Amino acid sequence: MSPGPALVAQRLSKDYGSGRGLFELDLEVRSGEILGFLGPNGAGKSTTMRLLLGLIRPTSGSARMLGLDIARDGLAVRRRVGYLAGDFGLYPQLTGAAALRYLARLQGGVAPVRIAELADRFAADLDRPVRELSSGNRQKLGLIQAFMHDPELMILDEPITGLDPLVQRSFHDLLGEVRDAGRTVLLSSHTLSEVDRVADRVAILRAGRLVVVDELARLRAQAVRRWEVELADSPAIDDIRRLPGVHETELDGRRLRIAFEGPVDAIVKALARHEVLDIRVHEGDLEEVFLRYYRGDER
Amino acid sequence: MSAAIFGLELRFRARAVASAALGLVALTALVGSLYPSLGDSIADVEIPKEIGDFIGGSDLATIQGWLRAEIMAVYGPVVFAVIAITSATATTAGEEEGHVFALVLAKPVPRRRLLLAKAAAIALLLGALSVAVLVGLRIAVAIAGGGVATAQLAAASLHLLAFGLAVGALALALGAGTGQRGLAAGVAAGITLVMYLVNGIAPVSDATSWLRYLTLFHYYEGGDPIANGIDAAGLAVLVLVTTLLLAVAVAAFERRDLRG
Repeated sequence: MSPGPALVAQRLSKDYGSGRGLFELDLEVRSGEILGFLGPNGAGKSTTMRLLLGLIRPTSGSARMLGLDIARDGLAVRRRVGYLAGDFGLYPQLTGAAALRYLARLQGGVAPVRIAELADRFAADLDRPVRELSSGNRQKLGLIQAFMHDPELMILDEPITGLDPLVQRSFHDLLGEVRDAGRTVLLSSHTLSEVDRVADRVAILRAGRLVVVDELARLRAQAVRRWEVELADSPAIDDIRRLPGVHETELDGRRLRIAFEGPVDAIVKALARHEVLDIRVHEGDLEEVFLRYYRGDER
Repeated sequence: MSAAIFGLELRFRARAVASAALGLVALTALVGSLYPSLGDSIADVEIPKEIGDFIGGSDLATIQGWLRAEIMAVYGPVVFAVIAITSATATTAGEEEGHVFALVLAKPVPRRRLLLAKAAAIALLLGALSVAVLVGLRIAVAIAGGGVATAQLAAASLHLLAFGLAVGALALALGAGTGQRGLAAGVAAGITLVMYLVNGIAPVSDATSWLRYLTLFHYYEGGDPIANGIDAAGLAVLVLVTTLLLAVAVAAFERRDLRG
């Protein structure tokens, strides 16, 4: 039997007035997947996560995590969830080690060797007081406390903020291990490339509403593709221009540039009527798809 | 878990409380040492009864009156109120504004437990501070040549502790209830100051004298513990107020959305 979803939100809402907040979020995160949570600033990503952790209370709606109701069984849920807040503080006078020991005790106990191991992977300096740490080094402490108890579900709000590329890679490796172990991650990000690298599916929020949840590959298929085709002769291109999904065609001597979205097949068959010398394919621009959703001009 | 919260709170505040305690002991001893020379001559100064009452009693000629006016009326309550208010607001609204609660309360920690463990630590520190007051008073009386039983000094210290706890509970309720440190500390300090003034001024007129029953200061010093020993009714009121304010703090904190 496959496990149920790790997270289910049902009409989850937090109304801050004047159109701000989160509205009727229906979202399912499957066990064992990494779901990227995207959206412009103020779209409601952090609000969603704070609702799930019980830091704020929903105006209406409900959510279940790991099969437990977040309102009724909040404590039991938080025992099994790892959370990294987008904006967090730690006691400035404590060393990283002392701060993590404290959080580990609140978590209900964590093997010190696990903290040491994570510190090693993130190259975190645990001996200096938190107040002396750069924001990137502080972020490492946030990551360690989210990972240290090997939670079944991780909720990470902009986890790579301030991290250098090497640490980002360690983090992404660790995320891969988490997924391989069958655990689940909900990860918010501004950075499309991060989500593109690690996530199985993405959910996009805009102005507090979910606009799409889909697999990355399928979103990419919506992207406008750009091909450059070299032909043996200068053809009549009206038949190609009239194909559904074709946005632009431009003929420059014997070089044809096509921008199109949707299925590839019709384009290939139309081109096959000519002698094709070369095709250069430019990767579908995922960012364009996302910006379309961000701006609200998706079809 | 509660032990961890309690321990960390003690650790953060111990230094400030230790210096306040040392200051209290030293100042109280100094005041005691001045009594033999100053107490007698001040006793000859004609002070209107109302003003005398306002500064903590007009009988400066006795060692009780001297200590009451110099230590118990103003300096002691100020130190206790400052420590109680700064600690209670720093550990609630201060940590919230520093976004520490965003991590701490995402752990499996009930909000009630977090708040009560922190309150217990602050109570213990105020208890230590009241022991310092007792030590200081004892030294002062010894220097001044005796005349007050330790039981009375202990009663005075205990009343000061109960007063500090009530002010601390007020600040805790404001800090936990609003999440805004500056606001909570300012309002708690303002209320305490107003209560001090009302307690001092209200008895001046018969029409207003009942107002003093609305102030913590009345229950703290109305029974004159340094002369008469423990005022059980006064202490009971302070303990009751503390308990009620703690309940308000927990209820408000549990219902509220965390800020930021």
